[in-house]
Amino acid sequence: MSPGPLRKDYDLVIVGAGVLGLFTAHHLAQKMDPRRILVVDRGFLSYGASGRNGGGVRQQWETLPTVRLAKESVAAYRRFPVEFGFNPWFRQGGYLFLAFSTQEEEALRRVHATVRQEGLPIEWLSVPEVLQEVPALDPERLVGGSCLRSDGVIFPFPVLWGLYRSLRRAGVEVLTRTEVVGIDRAGGRVSGVRTSAGAVQVRSVVNAAGGWSRDISALAGLSTVNAPTRHEIMATEPLKAFLGPMIVTLRKGLYFSQSMRGEVIGGINLPHPKGGAGSMPSSLEFLREYARELTTLVPRLSSVRVLRSWAGFYDDTPDGLPIIGEDPRLHGFVHANGFGGHGFMLAPAAGPRVARTVLGERTDLDPALFSPSRFLTEGGPRTVEGIQLG
Amino acid sequence: MPPAPPPLPPPVRFTFDGLYTSALPEETLLQALSRRRVPVLTRSIKYHRPRGPLCGTGQCAGCLVRVNGVPNVRACRTHPKEGDRVHTENAWPSVRLDLFGALDRLFPRHMDTMHGFRRPLFLRPLYHRVVRRLAGTGRLPDPSLEMGGASLSVSAGEASEAPSPGPAVTCDVLVVGGGASGARAARQLVEAPRSPAVVVLERSEDSPLDAGPLPPNLRLDLRTSLSFLPPPVPGTRGFVGLASREDGGALEVRARSVLLTTGAYDAFLLFAGNDRPGVLTGDGALALRRAGGAPSFRRAVLFGAGARARSLLASMPGSFGAIVAPGPLEPATADLADKEGVKAYPDHLLLSARGSRNVRSVLLRDRRSGSRTSLRADGVVLAHRRVPHVPLYFQAGARMTWRGATGAYYPELDERGRTSVEGLFAAGEGAGFVGEAASNASVDRAVRGILGPSEPGATGASALPGRVEDSANELLPYYRELLRQPWLGKRVVCPCEDVVADELDEAVHEGFTGTEVIKRYTGAGTGICQGRYCLPDVVLLLSILEGRPPSQVGFITQRPPAWPVPLADLARLPTDPRLAPAVTGKPSPSPSTGASQGAPAAAGAGGSPASSG
Repeated sequence: MSPGPLRKDYDLVIVGAGVLGLFTAHHLAQKMDPRRILVVDRGFLSYGASGRNGGGVRQQWETLPTVRLAKESVAAYRRFPVEFGFNPWFRQGGYLFLAFSTQEEEALRRVHATVRQEGLPIEWLSVPEVLQEVPALDPERLVGGSCLRSDGVIFPFPVLWGLYRSLRRAGVEVLTRTEVVGIDRAGGRVSGVRTSAGAVQVRSVVNAAGGWSRDISALAGLSTVNAPTRHEIMATEPLKAFLGPMIVTLRKGLYFSQSMRGEVIGGINLPHPKGGAGSMPSSLEFLREYARELTTLVPRLSSVRVLRSWAGFYDDTPDGLPIIGEDPRLHGFVHANGFGGHGFMLAPAAGPRVARTVLGERTDLDPALFSPSRFLTEGGPRTVEGIQLG
Repeated sequence: MPPAPPPLPPPVRFTFDGLYTSALPEETLLQALSRRRVPVLTRSIKYHRPRGPLCGTGQCAGCLVRVNGVPNVRACRTHPKEGDRVHTENAWPSVRLDLFGALDRLFPRHMDTMHGFRRPLFLRPLYHRVVRRLAGTGRLPDPSLEMGGASLSVSAGEASEAPSPGPAVTCDVLVVGGGASGARAARQLVEAPRSPAVVVLERSEDSPLDAGPLPPNLRLDLRTSLSFLPPPVPGTRGFVGLASREDGGALEVRARSVLLTTGAYDAFLLFAGNDRPGVLTGDGALALRRAGGAPSFRRAVLFGAGARARSLLASMPGSFGAIVAPGPLEPATADLADKEGVKAYPDHLLLSARGSRNVRSVLLRDRRSGSRTSLRADGVVLAHRRVPHVPLYFQAGARMTWRGATGAYYPELDERGRTSVEGLFAAGEGAGFVGEAASNASVDRAVRGILGPSEPGATGASALPGRVEDSANELLPYYRELLRQPWLGKRVVCPCEDVVADELDEAVHEGFTGTEVIKRYTGAGTGICQGRYCLPDVVLLLSILEGRPPSQVGFITQRPPAWPVPLADLARLPTDPRLAPAVTGKPSPSPSTGASQGAPAAAGAGGSPASSG
């Protein structure tokens, strides 16, 4: 149990010490008194999706603003080791989306024009080129693949450690194992946050609680459209390097990559039961479906053993795009959630923008794509992100 | 203990790194390779330190070899077949002389991959390439070397002879662990008036149940482990679990009640050079013994003071030169050591094990006088602490309590052997019952609980006779003293991932605390043994480093599978296990069909693949 907040009042509370909450705090700490910032998290550091994701960082998206955010994130993760003193071993081995039908090929090629607008050298690989990249693949019914070599895989934990240490050195308070149990409002504005370790007065709240962010919004009396979806991942025993890129298949929503430690880490899309962010159990169904699809695609992995599997929550939105911005119904309540399994790859770029929003500054984010009001206007959002897997 | 061999059938011939060698038919690969001494079988994952078997029970990463193109096969769980090609892994040019072993000297304290290798920027791709080249143990399986498609998933076992397993089995009571406690429970359960269908899973290749014919409502699966026991499906009664066979093949098991008699194992110990070949747990030392062969050791150091140390002294005569203990020896142990001519060193710290590859000597420190003693030794056998197999309890969601005497978590139990999860029972050494009498009594209570009326799970822990006490842990002051000693070499906390004690210290000093965070920070507990050999010590060390009781530093989530399972076995599981009708509270199936539903007719005693004759 944490000792509780040091002060009675803060300028703001960031709910969620995941990668986005920490990046946001990091940018805010450079623009205001760091001691006026409080970060709270219900679990330990890395308890939520920031410590449970597969580490993929890609820039292949259908929506141009997302490509821009992702490109900025890639640059930030490249700088990260020098800036924060922790090495997350960001390995730019590429993302290889595989197409097994002409429809899938068309869907992937649609992305190319958007990605090229940002000057990124995205390539279409023929079947022989795919096999040259990953010789262990079974090419049955394979049509080709979309590859961007500057995409990559990161080891998530050192990112959290680096941010955490930097915040603590700057004087930002980070309380783990502390749950938010109430959010007070007065006159259409956030006025306080009650936690399991005591209450504080604040002027702003950043809801960066990932799979728990809908619950946090509800504590402030706000209903939101995002919902947690349980996803599972597994890791095999460590093997010598054999796989360069992260592989994603559109047909089954399978993705896998090889970590710097040699483990094959990946997951698959299942008809997951939606529901509250309670426990995060693993399931036999996931073990079976992932194993079937992976061994079909890479038969040589059949005798490789699975070491562990775990689950976490995607914070999904109806249009596959995150929610960033102040809630029009409550002043001082800033959303930084709904990343749908892409929080880790977009956080370095989203963090400074959330920080600017908190400070009341303008950002370059298109409100039609990212603001919480897009779900409150009639007709709902107009743009949908097509590449939601991996 | 295997019986002395009768006139021998011809030996099995196989190659080891290209050289022909042979095994007796009943020998494991590990026994066959341990002819004269504990073998160097592999190199460690980070520093390429020489490694040999540690646990002998299919848990650690110390005896992983490549068999017929399949990587990371455990030599201690595998019986070589005629013509098998066995290779060492993760070493070049050979395990005895591995050039990458220079890394160990280059980074004498430890290699800091968390803060290091960041600059200069232009070298980063090179760092990545080198680290990727070094990471991992085995290479991707090589299909050209494997024995045809059917054995793709097989860990060089005997699947070609074993019947192909049924995909699912349903029973009334699933007993996990067919040792003394599990066998006692099974015998009592099958005799009950309603003749419940009982399935016993046993990880090793023998069980007391295997001795005679089995009643029709009892099925025994040897070399089979329960890997995943999710909590019961809400709204239904009963469990759907995943069992995996050593020889390939997974099995879905449905049961109304589950009794865990999963037992305990000898824990690891922290000292400099504790990962050297020749350092084994008590289980490991017993697994090395060859039928009728010479003892593996001549002057090993036995570490321990109590009943386990006595049993090793008695079962491995002529193997030990000294017995070392953190405190006083129990009088019976001292007497036995004296009788066997084994010199006793009570109240000593075991500081280090030294040698170029295998253990050649150990260094001790008298805890009272502070004087050091160096002993010639050809091994170190750890028998100081037995800790329970806990993953299944945690997976199933049972409430656990910390017990200081062993420094481990045990399930909360009531006087009918019930855990906090409805339908889940526990008994025997793994549930914390010390000694045969207490263990047997716990089995008898659990059997009464299983056969009695169904009620919600235990509401609170009862004080049960003969259970491990929550007393002070003697290793806490021992480790506190050990950590103050001058540095004598790497003290390996997590042998699978090459994590040393200094890394824990550093993480805590940086402000990262608690077992869950330390696991992610250092990698301890993420290796092939799934944390079985590091966690018991990590909890104690963090307690010292963080200055809070061990019960407050937490434990790590026990993630499935509890034992590594090949992808191909998972791929063959029946579809939609959770959606198919679950086992419900119907009357017991008739004895003739119940236990063997969905299984080959020969299952039971005949299902044992242990003999190849």
